[in-house]
Amino acid sequence: MKSHKKHQQINKTILIDIFKFIFVIALLCWMTFRGTEKLGYNWQWFQVPRYLFRMDDTGFLSGPLLNGFIVTLKITAASMVLAVFSGFITAILRLSNSISGRLTAFSYVETVRNTPLLVQIFFIYFVISPIFGISPFISAVFALSLFEGAYISEIFRAGILSVDKGQWEAAYSLSLSTFDTYFKIILPQAVRKILPPLTGQAVSLIKDSALVSTISIYDITMEGRVIISETYLTFEIWFTIAVIYLMITATLSVFVNRMEKRFKIAA
Amino acid sequence: MTEQPGKIIEIKKINKTFGNHVTALDDFSISVDRGEVVVVIGPSGSGKSTLLRCLNGLEETDSGSIVIDGTPLDSHPSNRKKIIKKIGMVFQSFNLFPHMTVLENICLAPRRVKGFNRTSAETIARDLLKKVNLSDKEQEYPNRLSGGQQQRVAIARALAMKPDIMLFDEATSALDPEMISEVLDVMRDLAKEGMTMLAVTHEMGFAREVSDRVVFMETGKLIEQGPTEIFFTKPEKERTKLFLSQIL
Repeated sequence: MKSHKKHQQINKTILIDIFKFIFVIALLCWMTFRGTEKLGYNWQWFQVPRYLFRMDDTGFLSGPLLNGFIVTLKITAASMVLAVFSGFITAILRLSNSISGRLTAFSYVETVRNTPLLVQIFFIYFVISPIFGISPFISAVFALSLFEGAYISEIFRAGILSVDKGQWEAAYSLSLSTFDTYFKIILPQAVRKILPPLTGQAVSLIKDSALVSTISIYDITMEGRVIISETYLTFEIWFTIAVIYLMITATLSVFVNRMEKRFKIAA
Repeated sequence: MTEQPGKIIEIKKINKTFGNHVTALDDFSISVDRGEVVVVIGPSGSGKSTLLRCLNGLEETDSGSIVIDGTPLDSHPSNRKKIIKKIGMVFQSFNLFPHMTVLENICLAPRRVKGFNRTSAETIARDLLKKVNLSDKEQEYPNRLSGGQQQRVAIARALAMKPDIMLFDEATSALDPEMISEVLDVMRDLAKEGMTMLAVTHEMGFAREVSDRVVFMETGKLIEQGPTEIFFTKPEKERTKLFLSQIL
């Protein structure tokens, strides 16, 4: 009897919460609608799909937004791999006994974290890339991975330091090499601490990648800006782009959640 | 164990001061014969653990010399590697690898360091598990085991590298009272087999029964040492008498 009552109570609070949520969303929608109405904005959602894809006699044709989406995916994927790599190396350097290694890693992390990403992208694109003759795409990947790598190195460092000192000592007294100590003992334990903030960093990377549109790379943001300048579909396109970014990051989060479960140490 | 005469551990005048001006070892000298079982006792903070940790290079000494089985522990990496391989260490907090099964814990070093293949490493591991009475636990993860079981696995793991010397750093201090004896039994068996052992412990019954010699230290200095029976029955120094009266 008592538990039944409690059950009802919980149902009631959930209902109230759902109602509150719907109310807030409705309020936001109404405000957006009112705002655009006052602007005299003419919604033309029907125009949007053809910028994503078209179907004609030859079949499926990807539109500029979809092409941009693929460029964004390529850039973030390549940058993430490189960023994890440089982050890992930097973390190990910072934890090493070598003074020059520690100093190099420290200056890299502090310089990159304390200057704007946009400036770094411009620096690499306008100053470094002409020297080596590298393409805008490579410059973009290079700049992004350098930037995110600095943050990722701190994530790795914290994860590695979170592993109990006794694990290092046990590995040392068993004569394990530094390589084995890292890859067999420390990292498998650190990975649980590393994965959640690393996902956060990957999400930042995806969003930060929009900045490469400034160096004439046709990622999704750049494609959107081009479409807007031709059609004045400002809100429709920006909202579509936002949803696409959201889709990428949400997929990533789900994927990482699954991975985290796999890495859980048997209880 | 082949009986060879001579000192397997020779420590001369080692000093160790930690950053905050705490002297852990103060001109400390000691030597240990092959096959000898030495128990180190002393109040907490007397430098017992530091002594053990300096022996295999887990802590760096400030000065003095450590020679293990003829090899000096110095800045040469090859000497250091040689020494670490000769010494097995058992920690107060077990330090098993939590993401590996008992069997994997024991097999890792023989496979990765000595290059044994899986089958021969597992044969060694199973023999050792039988020795520490844990044959039925080889597929368990450490956190499913009791403290006493974990410490026995840790001993087996250290023995898998076939060390000449075993160091026990308060191996039973973190255990519930009812689990202490199962670990001490394993240590007793090892001593009987002629393993050279250096043990920091508070288990005076064990020290009295198993050890050949007792070393009493305080504030990094060797206060008194002697053959076990004489040490416990006729200690010379007043400080030793006082300490023994407090703990016995």
